[in-house]
Amino acid sequence: MAIDKKLLSLLLLVSSLSSIASASFSDPDSDSDLTNELASLRSNSESGVIHLDDHGISKFLISSPTPRPYSILVFFDATQLHSKTELRLQELRREFGLVSATFLANNNGSDLNKLFFCEIEFSRSQSSFQRFGVNALPHIRLVTASTAKLSDESGQMDQSDFARLAESMAEFVEQRTKLTVGPIQRPPFLSKAQISVIVAMIVIATPFVIKRILRGETLLHDHRLWLSGAIFIYFFSVAGTMHNIIRKMPMFLQDRNDPNKLVFFYQGSGMQLGAEGFAVGFLYTVVGLLLAFVTNVLVRVRNLNVQRLVMLVALVVSSWAVKQVVYLDNWKTGYGIHPYWPSSWQ
Amino acid sequence: MAAKKASPDLVNSSFSFKSLKLKTKQQELLLRVSILGLVYVLAFIARLFSVLRYESMIHEFDPYFNYRTTLFLTEKGFYEFWNWFDSESWYPLGRIIGGTLYPGLMVTAALIYWTLRFLRFFVHIREVCVLTAPFFASNTTLVAYFFGKEIWDTGAGLVAAALIAICPGYISRSVAGSYDNEAVAIFALLLTFYLFVKAVKTGSLSWALGSAFGYFYMVSAWGGYVFIINLVPLYVLVLLITGRYSMRLYVAYNCMYILGMLLAMQIRFVGFQHVQSGEHMAAMGVFLLMQVFYFLDWVKHQLNDTKLFQTFLRITVTSAILVGGIALGVGTASGYISPWTGRFYSLLDPTYAKDHIPIIASVSEHQPTAWSSFMFDYHILLFLFPAGLYFCFKRLSDATIFIVMYGLTSLYFAGVMVRLILVATPAVCLISAIAVSATVKNLTSLLRTKQKVPQTGSTKGVGSSKSSSKVTLDQSQPFHKNGAIALLVGVFYLLSRYAIHCTWVTSEAYSSPSIVLAARGAHGNRIIFDDYREAYYWLRQNTPTDAKVMSWWDYGYQITAMGNRTVIVDNNTWNNTHIATVGRAMSSYEDEAYDIMRSLDVNYVLVVFGGVTGYSSDDINKFLWMVRIGGGVYPVIKEPDYLVNGEFRVDKGASPKMLNCLMYKLCYYRFGELVTEYGKPTGYDRARGVEIGNKDIKLEHLEEAYTTSNWIVRIYRVKPPTNRL
Repeated sequence: MAIDKKLLSLLLLVSSLSSIASASFSDPDSDSDLTNELASLRSNSESGVIHLDDHGISKFLISSPTPRPYSILVFFDATQLHSKTELRLQELRREFGLVSATFLANNNGSDLNKLFFCEIEFSRSQSSFQRFGVNALPHIRLVTASTAKLSDESGQMDQSDFARLAESMAEFVEQRTKLTVGPIQRPPFLSKAQISVIVAMIVIATPFVIKRILRGETLLHDHRLWLSGAIFIYFFSVAGTMHNIIRKMPMFLQDRNDPNKLVFFYQGSGMQLGAEGFAVGFLYTVVGLLLAFVTNVLVRVRNLNVQRLVMLVALVVSSWAVKQVVYLDNWKTGYGIHPYWPSSWQ
Repeated sequence: MAAKKASPDLVNSSFSFKSLKLKTKQQELLLRVSILGLVYVLAFIARLFSVLRYESMIHEFDPYFNYRTTLFLTEKGFYEFWNWFDSESWYPLGRIIGGTLYPGLMVTAALIYWTLRFLRFFVHIREVCVLTAPFFASNTTLVAYFFGKEIWDTGAGLVAAALIAICPGYISRSVAGSYDNEAVAIFALLLTFYLFVKAVKTGSLSWALGSAFGYFYMVSAWGGYVFIINLVPLYVLVLLITGRYSMRLYVAYNCMYILGMLLAMQIRFVGFQHVQSGEHMAAMGVFLLMQVFYFLDWVKHQLNDTKLFQTFLRITVTSAILVGGIALGVGTASGYISPWTGRFYSLLDPTYAKDHIPIIASVSEHQPTAWSSFMFDYHILLFLFPAGLYFCFKRLSDATIFIVMYGLTSLYFAGVMVRLILVATPAVCLISAIAVSATVKNLTSLLRTKQKVPQTGSTKGVGSSKSSSKVTLDQSQPFHKNGAIALLVGVFYLLSRYAIHCTWVTSEAYSSPSIVLAARGAHGNRIIFDDYREAYYWLRQNTPTDAKVMSWWDYGYQITAMGNRTVIVDNNTWNNTHIATVGRAMSSYEDEAYDIMRSLDVNYVLVVFGGVTGYSSDDINKFLWMVRIGGGVYPVIKEPDYLVNGEFRVDKGASPKMLNCLMYKLCYYRFGELVTEYGKPTGYDRARGVEIGNKDIKLEHLEEAYTTSNWIVRIYRVKPPTNRL
């Protein structure tokens, strides 16, 4: 290990020496021109991510002599793929912007112009994609100062490097460029102005609300509202909605064997799909409410035939729903629940 | 049997004891008491399946710690127990036991034990511990009866007692042998609520005092007391908002809060948290609000001018809210009021734990609940619950508001975490009991009015004793009889299905001690795997008494209790870094792990492996959590290193880091030579159904010490460092 490290540092030393040497030989004016141009492009763009096209790529990366005074981190984007949510392109692009903004905020002086954040878009710069040899997204590539060939894939960010979003991207950058990005500064959920407006509104509204409460004429005094709220919470809980939210379960899946078929019910306890939970929760609620309805409202109905009919419908619906739920539960958990009879009966 | 008791009203109405010449009231009393007695016995014996199927022993993981401390308490006395510093766990840190546990359960069991001794019943403390949970479950049915009586009527009380006696949601945590805090805590929880509701109803100081002591018992028994101290203020707040403020409420809440707080602070584990932590602030805020209400009432009484009062009101309320807000802000900012703990926070924002606290998210009972778990634990109660809600809203009172709030909040929390189904169970049983009782009562009284049309005066018997408001039926409706009979049959069918379901679930699913495993053989016979105890007794008898054992934290309590050896980490997850160190050792290469183990003075390493038997909750399946928890503290451990394309594999396609980490090597050492299933190659892992990827494992710094008969537990000795020349 130790030998490796020494070797590495030696190599680094050699390379940096050579870069200094070559920098002094190459034309310093054109280098600083390019850097200044990039810096001005950066100051004009949102969160410091420069939008490059084929022309920009050739100018800043191809035609410039190899020990460049700057590194460039390129984000490869494709608008046509934004609709494919599993690629998470838009999310990653936002995180990329965050890293860039943090880098700008935490660095000033000489380090600031050593790293630029850029993005290129597929539909407008297809030849650059070919030059980089990129044919799968998401893809983020670091082009270091000494990278000569663009198709060199050593600067590619691994899947694991953006698994933890901006934080791991920043780690990658710090590791490769020896520059500091610093802790990621995420914008707060609500801006300060918004918070103050909300607080002010609450403060203003409080006396009025209290006045109404004391008079007893708010919505809160309506039984029906409370009842429907209560039923909703019940439905929300027993349908496993929290499970869906926490696990981010989809409503249904596509059948692997037959893409046209949709799978609504997942076999195996401890897991469920969204639609499945809602369907079962609905069945629960219907039966319970029917029972309440039959024993509390139906008895007041005067017309005998209506009573009979509703009663019959309620009975049939409830027994069907109960049967269905029990059947589904047995199917899902794989348990065969059966009564225990005395052994002499068998 | 249970079905018969689940609907006592029908029994009441159809039986007649004319030959005994008892008055109607006496008959009713006799029936009620005998039904309650039967329910009491039923609740106890239904929980004995585990003793019948296995043996009288302590289950699972945490109960072993409770058992060990109870044993210590009965042997050394209370003060020794209170000041106990345990050097056998969390080596080298140790743990102050007296200050970091809820002593209610141990003290209860010890008291029962001493009482039995005093009465000259010479039982072993283990038997007492095993049977504590069923005993308290029986007591819970009594509380449920009184609670039901309080919020509805005696019929509902009886049904509630019968329902809760066999409800799987409660049985899952209270079978014989599951000697855990929840066993007594649910009793204490329901008792506190019952006494508080009673106090609010009567406004009497003595009931409020009772509820304060109930709360004290709950605090001493279980961390779930936080639920009480937040639900009660919320309830009071709702009563205030809906204009139900009364002197009764004032007396009940103030007495309960102040006294309960003072008592709760006597428990060392809670101490000053009760006035400082954010979780308890709601109770204090509502307490202050109550005083404001009382003050306003008083001023209103003094001032006769309404306009003057309005102005006064506006000023007081605004300033009170401002002062309260500022005080809370300053308290939090200065650190005097601590923010919420992770577990509590994850209840309010359920996605929090998954992202931030792997140690909470890793526990299987902290997973969110799918609908099938609800169905499994409540069965038909879920259908009855909405009906019960409807009945409660029909007859709104302080008591029914409480039960509705209790039911809804706890159901929501049950949706977030599987284990909280337990807390919701009493509420669900009570509300469903209201539905059953009210329905059956309506229907039977309907039937009886038909039968006894000539003698209308005498129908006010047992069935419709108290709730005359419920009988909303008109007299002349010939259809009703048929309809009522059909509905009754339906209800009874449902109840009998419930009884069948509960019995089956108790017997098959919830009576497994999980330290002894059972499986069905090829011919339907039962095969018992007793490997855990085999390994622990091996440790006890074959290792030096000061040996330190490293294992994943799940097995810590069992090793200390049964193997009597020092462990590095155990199930009390108070020190994340220490657990992460073990996780790091398990997921490193052997030589790196060896350095960590040397620094912790580890002598033996214990792993649990299910590849031979097909036992799926073994260390390989838990391994990703070790990586996550380890990586949370030591960033050198990275989860993607152990995955291939986001997939966890142990076969040939597994990642090289996975194939050479310590855990993999210890689990699969010499496994490659073994044929586990006919027709499969050697080294076929039955738990994961694959052929393992690294069959030629060489150990350098460890050596195999013991492997149990079914390979479930494997113990390795850490070799001392080689002599330097």
